Amino acid sequence: MKGRADIRAFVQGLLTASGDDRPFADSDSLLFSGRLQSIDAVEIVVFLEENFGIDFAQVGFDKEQIDSVDAICALTESVAKSN
Amino acid sequence: MVTPARITSAKADGVAGFRLIPRIESFPAVVRFAQTPPGKLVLLAVFGLGMRVFLPDLRSVMALMAPLALITFLPAYRRLLLAASTIAIVVIETAGNSLLLVLTLTVIALSVLLYWCAMRWPNSRFAKRPVLILLTGFTCLTVFASSRAPQSWAYSALWTLVGVLSAYLWFIAYALTDRNSKPSSDLALEVAALRPLWGSTNTPFPKGAAYLRRIEAKTPEQLAVVQLKGLKLLVWAILLDVARALWNVFFHQYLQIPTPDQALTMSVHGTPAAWHLRWACQLLAYFELIFAFSIFGHKFIACCRMAGFNALRNTYRPLSSTTVMEFFNRFYYYFKELLVDFFFYPAFFRYWKGHKRMRTIFATFAAAFFGNSFYHLARDWQIVRDDGLWRAIASYQVLFFYNAFLAAGLCVSQLRKRDQNRGGFVRGRLLPAVGVGFFYCILNVFDADERMYPLIEHLKYLASLFFIHF
Repeated sequence: MKGRADIRAFVQGLLTASGDDRPFADSDSLLFSGRLQSIDAVEIVVFLEENFGIDFAQVGFDKEQIDSVDAICALTESVAKSN
Repeated sequence: MVTPARITSAKADGVAGFRLIPRIESFPAVVRFAQTPPGKLVLLAVFGLGMRVFLPDLRSVMALMAPLALITFLPAYRRLLLAASTIAIVVIETAGNSLLLVLTLTVIALSVLLYWCAMRWPNSRFAKRPVLILLTGFTCLTVFASSRAPQSWAYSALWTLVGVLSAYLWFIAYALTDRNSKPSSDLALEVAALRPLWGSTNTPFPKGAAYLRRIEAKTPEQLAVVQLKGLKLLVWAILLDVARALWNVFFHQYLQIPTPDQALTMSVHGTPAAWHLRWACQLLAYFELIFAFSIFGHKFIACCRMAGFNALRNTYRPLSSTTVMEFFNRFYYYFKELLVDFFFYPAFFRYWKGHKRMRTIFATFAAAFFGNSFYHLARDWQIVRDDGLWRAIASYQVLFFYNAFLAAGLCVSQLRKRDQNRGGFVRGRLLPAVGVGFFYCILNVFDADERMYPLIEHLKYLASLFFIHF
C-alpha cells in the first residue's frame, strides 16, 4: 500500500509536467486554485484506482476529495477503513 | 555578487513580471483602504463606472450596483441578499408576461425541491444519477412538446416551460450534484446560484453553489482583495473591448478582410475571396473569438468577485497553451468544466475501466461530442420548436462535425505525452502554441454560420484553403 509520500510525489510530478515549479503544502488547493487541470484530476483518479483500489463510480466523486494532498490522504484512509 | 546569469534572470523576471494593470490587491495600503467605508464607496463607484461601458443605461448599472453595495456593506447577509436578487431579477425580467413569471418561479421551486430530494434520500435511484434523470426528463418534455398541435394553449405553455428549463438546466444540474459536497451548501446559496446576479450564459458562471461556498471571502481583508481583483478584471475587459474595436476597424474596415461568415458565403456563391484573405480571416477569427470570450467572461467574473467570490477567470492566457486540451481549458473554462463534470467523469468512472486509452477516448467523446451537441440543442430549443425535432437535428450537421473534430483533437492531445519543460522556449512553447492555433483556425471553419450552409460547403471551403477544389 502506498502512502502520503507517494501521493505527494505523484502530485509533484503532475505540477512539474505542467510547468509549475512553485512549492506547495499538503493542504494547498490544487484543482480549485487552477494549478492543476481536469486532465490532471483524471490522472489522480487513475492513480488512486490503481494504487488504492478506489472505485469512484461506487464512492461518488467530488473534486474536493482530490483537491489537496491532505484531502487525497483523507479519502484513501476513509476508503481503507470502510473496506 | 551579481553574475551575468543573475542579470539575465532579473531581466527575464522583469519582462515576465510586467503587468499592464498593477497588482493593487497586493498593496497593503490599498487593501486596508478598501476595507473602510469610504474605500468601499470608492471601489463601488469605480466599478459601477466601469460597468457603464457594457450596460445600456444608468438604470441597468444601478440595478446591478445596488445589490453589490448591500453585499459589500453587509457581507454577513451575502447569501440571502444574492438569493433575493436572483428572485428579484426574475420578477423584473418577466413582469410583462405572467405565464413566463409563473413558470420561471415554478422551475426555481422545482430546482429547490429536486435538490432537497437528492439530499433527503441520498441512496435513492434519483440521488445516485440525478443529472442523467434531469437531462432525460428535459429531453422527454421537449419531445412531448414537439408532438403537440401548434397554436394550442398546451403547445404554448409547454414550449415556454421548455424554454425556461433550458435556461436553468445546467444550473439545476450543478445544484443536484451538490449532494456530494461536504458540508452541503445552504438553501439561500443554492437559490442564489440559479442564474445569479452577475449574469451567465446557459453555462453557469462560476459553476454551482458548492463551488461558490469554497471560494467565498470569509474575512473583510479577503473581501477587499477579491473585490480589488474584480475591479482589475473589469478594467482588463474594458481594455480588451477597446482593443477589439480598434482591431475591427483596422482589419475589417481599413484592410477589408472578410469575416469567416462572409468568406464562406463568397465561396458558396462562386466568388471566393483571394487565398491569402481566406487564411487571414481564419487567423483573425481565432483571435476575435478569444477577444469575445475573454470580454464576456471577464465581465461575469468581475461582478462575481465584487460579490465576494474569488472565482477563476473564464479565459486565462489561452495563447500560452501548448496542447489542444490546454487551450480548451483556458479558452472557455466554465463550459469545459460543465462538459467534464456532467459527461466526462460519469463516462470515465463507469465504462472501459480495463482499457486506459479507450476509457479516455470514450469519455472525451461523451463530453466533447455528445455533451457539447446536447448542450447546443438544449440551448437552441426554438429551432427544435420551429423546425421539428428531426429536421433540427439534421440541420446541426456542421455542429456535429465540429464537435467530432474537436473531440478527436482533444483525444489526441490527451493521449500524447506532454512535458512543457522539454525543448526550450521555441520547441517547448512557441511551436506547440502555433500548432494549437493552427488546429483551432481549421476547426473554426466549421464554426461559421453553423446552420446556414450544409457540411459539404464547409468542407469545400476548407479544402480551398489548401488549393484543393472539388
